[in-house]
Amino acid sequence: MDAHYFFPPAAAFPLNRFLFALKSDAAVRARYAKDGEATMREHGLDDATRAALATFDRERLVGLGAHPYLVFMAQVRLTMDREPTTFEYF
Amino acid sequence: MPLVAAFACPHTPQLLVRPPTEDRALVLRVHEALGEVKRRLSAARADVIVLVAGDHIEGFFLNAVPALAVYVGARAAGEFGRYRYAFDVHEPVARAIVEQGIEAGFDLAYSQQLPLDYAFYVPLHFAMPAAAVPIVPLYVNVYLPPQPTPRRCHAWGAALRTILDARAERVALIASGGLSHFPGTERYGTPDFDFDRALLAALAEGRGAETARLTGEELDKAGNVELRTWITLLGAVGAARAEVLCYEPSWHHGNAVVAWPV
Repeated sequence: MDAHYFFPPAAAFPLNRFLFALKSDAAVRARYAKDGEATMREHGLDDATRAALATFDRERLVGLGAHPYLVFMAQVRLTMDREPTTFEYF
Repeated sequence: MPLVAAFACPHTPQLLVRPPTEDRALVLRVHEALGEVKRRLSAARADVIVLVAGDHIEGFFLNAVPALAVYVGARAAGEFGRYRYAFDVHEPVARAIVEQGIEAGFDLAYSQQLPLDYAFYVPLHFAMPAAAVPIVPLYVNVYLPPQPTPRRCHAWGAALRTILDARAERVALIASGGLSHFPGTERYGTPDFDFDRALLAALAEGRGAETARLTGEELDKAGNVELRTWITLLGAVGAARAEVLCYEPSWHHGNAVVAWPV
């Protein structure tokens, strides 16, 4: 069985770089929220990758080589931006 | 001067920013344990806090993946949502760790330009003494395989102890990580709490050296890739018996706060 946190395949680098940007760059998240398709194209993502991101399907993204943690935290940060009042801040 | 304090803390961001999925009472119990760390750090009058944490692909992306690294910039800063953190770095201790660590045979990477990861500032949010203490961020790669072996992490911790004990400053050591959790995987809702409980029982008996014999595969299977930060600390604290300040398993995460007498 592959490790849960497996070696990132080189072919998935554009996808992982985009997830990293979504996770760590508020400007990219804001642009993605405004125009997801254009933002994904600007980041050089292919058709299959854009389709998987459209539904943020964890299994499909990981199947394409996405790092599971990047999928997880990109989604958390998008949710925090979208629904800030549902969180309690300590 | 020998180490003045040693702790292990969780850093899950749900402790800082709680979504409705998290049990509020549990989160507050973990805060209380971290408050005890703060009290003890203050009482120990630490001059510097050395933190061993795993980067969540924040400071280091796939441009460079160091197994072990030291941050030696003047300030360490990071942000999470509405939170902004900036800590002074204790440059003399950071530099001694790099220079003497390499001299001791550990090929450490170092950086003066990294955004600080939440693995560092979540514990400090709750445990930094009121009069802020400078820090030294130490990185152990936990999420991007191949990670350093537990044996190597333990040996690095032992070498680190030698370096820190030779310093004039009062040094506190904190490992940030764990316990069992599987973010982003199909195991997210089923952590291995049995592994955690067996581990904590062994640490309470001073059997931390046994963790050096774990394999990377065992850590991955148990949702404990971050245990490498604890194993590094265990190399530094030796056979000291752990005091478990809390163990709070949530639906996805084993939150443990532990202290060691040093």
